[in-house]
Amino acid sequence: MSPISPATPAIVGTEWTRPILPKVANPSVGSDLEGIAASGSPQTYARFGDVLTDLIRQTDQAQRVSGETTGALLAGQNVPVHQAMIAGEEASVSFQLMLEVRNRLLEGYQELMRMQV
Amino acid sequence: MTEALFGGINYVAAKKGLDACVERQRASAANIANLETPGYRRVHVPREFQQSLREAVRRQDPASLAGLRPGVAVDGSAVARTPDGNTVNLTDELMALQENGVEHSLHVQLINGRMSRLRAAISGRMS
Amino acid sequence: MNLIPGATSATQGLQAEQLRMEVISQNIANARTTRTSSGGPYQRQAVRFSEALGEALSGVDATRGDRQAMPRLEILPDTRPPVRVHQPGHPDADGEGFVSYPAISVHEEMADLVSASRTYEANLAVIRNGRALAQQALSIGRRA
Repeated sequence: MSPISPATPAIVGTEWTRPILPKVANPSVGSDLEGIAASGSPQTYARFGDVLTDLIRQTDQAQRVSGETTGALLAGQNVPVHQAMIAGEEASVSFQLMLEVRNRLLEGYQELMRMQV
Repeated sequence: MTEALFGGINYVAAKKGLDACVERQRASAANIANLETPGYRRVHVPREFQQSLREAVRRQDPASLAGLRPGVAVDGSAVARTPDGNTVNLTDELMALQENGVEHSLHVQLINGRMSRLRAAISGRMS
Repeated sequence: MNLIPGATSATQGLQAEQLRMEVISQNIANARTTRTSSGGPYQRQAVRFSEALGEALSGVDATRGDRQAMPRLEILPDTRPPVRVHQPGHPDADGEGFVSYPAISVHEEMADLVSASRTYEANLAVIRNGRALAQQALSIGRRA
């Protein structure tokens, strides 16, 4: 089997969709799972690579928003403290997600490379 | 993908709720500072904001929250407490201050809870 | 930086009440002053809050920063005439043996003082609360 280059993962051409979790029986209670499931229609990606690219782009945007908000706060503009704090946290969590995805992908690739052909 | 992380109705509502808490604090501050200003009419965050927020949560509709912005406006229904037309009632204002503090705390807890659960989900480890 | 919401208004309120308390204290201290450097008995000073500024209030808008109605205090000389007491032996007695005392009722001043203190405390409570809100907001995302 030919070596797999990192640019074209083995799962090419698969539609990558977000899992749809079953709706909670009592919607007024609300849960995190429901939050993830109910936010809009599932986004589809043609290539797995697009998932990563999108994630990186969104993380970068979150970091930028956080930087701007904090900068505005420090510059004395009328930014409520909580907005700066929340923006920072969202950027951090996005980054953590991106990092974790990257780590798992790397692990997966390395495991793949270790496989006897 | 980040809409999945931060697009849930409770989380978005908590963020809007926090914005409103800060505005309510400023309204109470203005009212108490002008406790004895003749002709001063008390200000507040209109009830419509709270109603719209609750409605959006009931309908599980985060999108409708995006445009909602809490503002401070004159309270048209307040009655004059003194002959000069001042409509501020100190007890009411102080009570509103206390309730606002608790509501603020609630929203912060909701947001913190969300963040820690997300981190736990991402890392596969609690805390 | 306006990290504490409402601090601008509350500070104005505190300043106004503090000024009011100073004026009241001065009135109380001079309640029996029959002769001042300008001659004549001490004249009571009254404080008056200025009228609310109509436009500034209705234009209170979150997006325009901390633009809120500010309480304004004026200090005016009281118009009440001095109280004349018959005390012929007093060094400041006039030709008919009457001494003019300032028209100050200590009870009235004390009542005003209590009211001013109460309002002062209320403004302090606003700042204390605002600070608690800010610190709570700062704890977002803090991990033990």
